[in-house]
Amino acid sequence: MPKCTIDGKEIEVPPGTTVIEAAARHGIEVPHFCWHPDLPVDGNCRMCLVEIEKMPKLQIACNTMVTEGMVVQTKSPKAAEAHRTTLELLLINHPIDCPVCDQAGECYLQDNYMEHGLHDAKVEVEDKVRKRKVVDLGPIMLDAERCVLCTRCMRFEREVTGTNSFQLVNRGDHTSISTFENRPITHGYAGNLADVCPVGALLSHDFRFKMRVWFLKSHESVCPGCSTGCNVFVDERDGEVQRLRPRRNVDVNRSWMCDLGRASYKEIGLTSRVSGARVKGAAAWDGVAVAAALDTVAAKVKEAGSATAFLATPQGTNEDLFAFRALAEAVGGTLDFRVGDPQAKLRVRSDDVLLRDDRNPNTQGCLDQGLGRAGVAAILEACAAGRVRALVLQGPELLRVPEAVEALARVPFVAVMATHEGPELDRAHCVLPAAAWAEVEGTFTNYERRVQRLRPAVPAPGDALPRWELAAGLLDRLGQPLPAASARELFALVARAVPDYAGLDYRALGSQGRALTPAEDGPAAGAEAGA
Amino acid sequence: MAATVVTVDRDQKPGIGPILLGHWVTLTNLLKTVFGRQASTIQFPEEKRPHSPRYRGIHLLTVREDGSPKCVACYMCATVCPAECIYIESGERPEKTIEKYPTRFEIDLLRCVYCGFCVDACPEEAIFMSRENDLVGTSRAELIIDRDRLIDRGKLVEHGPGYRPADHDVRRPVRIAALERLEKEHGIVPGMPKR
Repeated sequence: MPKCTIDGKEIEVPPGTTVIEAAARHGIEVPHFCWHPDLPVDGNCRMCLVEIEKMPKLQIACNTMVTEGMVVQTKSPKAAEAHRTTLELLLINHPIDCPVCDQAGECYLQDNYMEHGLHDAKVEVEDKVRKRKVVDLGPIMLDAERCVLCTRCMRFEREVTGTNSFQLVNRGDHTSISTFENRPITHGYAGNLADVCPVGALLSHDFRFKMRVWFLKSHESVCPGCSTGCNVFVDERDGEVQRLRPRRNVDVNRSWMCDLGRASYKEIGLTSRVSGARVKGAAAWDGVAVAAALDTVAAKVKEAGSATAFLATPQGTNEDLFAFRALAEAVGGTLDFRVGDPQAKLRVRSDDVLLRDDRNPNTQGCLDQGLGRAGVAAILEACAAGRVRALVLQGPELLRVPEAVEALARVPFVAVMATHEGPELDRAHCVLPAAAWAEVEGTFTNYERRVQRLRPAVPAPGDALPRWELAAGLLDRLGQPLPAASARELFALVARAVPDYAGLDYRALGSQGRALTPAEDGPAAGAEAGA
Repeated sequence: MAATVVTVDRDQKPGIGPILLGHWVTLTNLLKTVFGRQASTIQFPEEKRPHSPRYRGIHLLTVREDGSPKCVACYMCATVCPAECIYIESGERPEKTIEKYPTRFEIDLLRCVYCGFCVDACPEEAIFMSRENDLVGTSRAELIIDRDRLIDRGKLVEHGPGYRPADHDVRRPVRIAALERLEKEHGIVPGMPKR
């Protein structure tokens, strides 16, 4: 373990660590553009020059390994002068159109100028080299004038997606970034290009001109798009989600996320959200208070007793699933969660980067809590035979399955917890408004059994409640209240009930989640946790 | 804590002196107003007080040569606004040199505290203040003024432009649609700020 001194601070790092990593790990930020923790080192921007004792010239911190006894100065007059000069050179042809640039507020050029530059421009705007602006590359907008030629986008395309869309063209001052014949970006990870670009050269088309970033509040969460469980920031303003951004987690998604996941915020703010409970009356739907709807469901479930069937959803959090399982056990009905065999696709990759075939975030959580019991086929068979008197659905997935329609029509009472309106809800007799993933506190367990936390970012619409609160309301009415009043307390119950989760709580999960021992592969994995 | 107690002698009679003094003040003011033409009051709204050229009244938006708003929807004014009374939505213009413009630009004049920070923050000299200050409306909604009303303020601008901090280093002339229309249609040229 080589020891070095950076800015007078003694630092011990593993062999092979670069100076910029060692500094970053100990809270010393070396200014940079082309270095990215999850991309190979290129060393072209020359911004991270630092003074190293016994070396005659300044060295780039991103490509210099720490060696024993190295003494590094990142803020010495010589280094500071180098930072200022590099920045001045980079800004020669920059258009300084920050007022209309979406990157403003999270731009490395802006930040580094305020920190290390603050020089007067020597080149008039009229004398700058003009390049192409507003080039539409599909999901990405290219503005070649703003580019600092750091080649992060090229390295991302080379190393992560393997698509190699970008290349530098022309020479000298006229060098600019471009795709071949301006072809649009077609791979499913284009949003990351806007994230890796340290300046406003590559910007997201979806987020274009939508909001200035300094108005946004970020909340740590987990993408609900598939079983990979990429860590994300939910960026929100005034209760409206504006975008999702990948949050770095080296063990799950590094710094990336797919465009499908990135777009999953759009369904949260839709006007078609279920915001109130309703019960099917004699002729039409009657809107009722959630409490009244819960009374109805509780009465029907009590009446049906063990002739009740419960279907959980792998879209729910572990807390939702636990409360739902407690409900099923209190009534004594049949229970399952599988619609379309998500457990078979749980670990199947859709591509070589992140996306997985199972588009549910918490199938593993369902398996861990032992919700795969009766089998959906058995439940549907019982429905068709008229043996099910009441059916409680935690999500509307089953209502969308065409083969199930006939069997469901024979159930006298179907209650469903739904987040979005849809024609399938007409097949139910009672609709309970459920909060979506960005509105609840909870945990998801991803495909490799990493338990990760969601945090509420925005308020749920209308009367919508987290699914666990709906289940807890039913349990209250059945006279068997849950001994938990919050998601945090519920998770403590989960940790006590599921052996592998023992000792876990929200504090232990932290921001990066906690990996459990991976379950053995195979569709049958899941029968292990009963309790 | 020792408090200072003022003792007032209620038994002492003031006499007629102070009353006569009061009458004398009223009488001299009456004489000044009637014969001296030194009235303190004015006939508002027909008559208006002159305001400083840096007076911070109701806002106005400036325009480009083609009449489109000069604003590029950078949200600086909305960011700096302490009253949070500016609401902007931005859209895309087909011209690649300008790109961004406000599709909505609303100021809630009832919420505004007329501090002038928005004018200070604007990088484009797109928002000024006028010397207009009589804010009258029949509903609250009427006093949330939108982009087009901010550009073309009609007769509201009679007082002339007010606070414009970058006046001394304006390189390009700024077109104020409201003032131009006022001159064309009503022949009114409000006094420009004197320097």
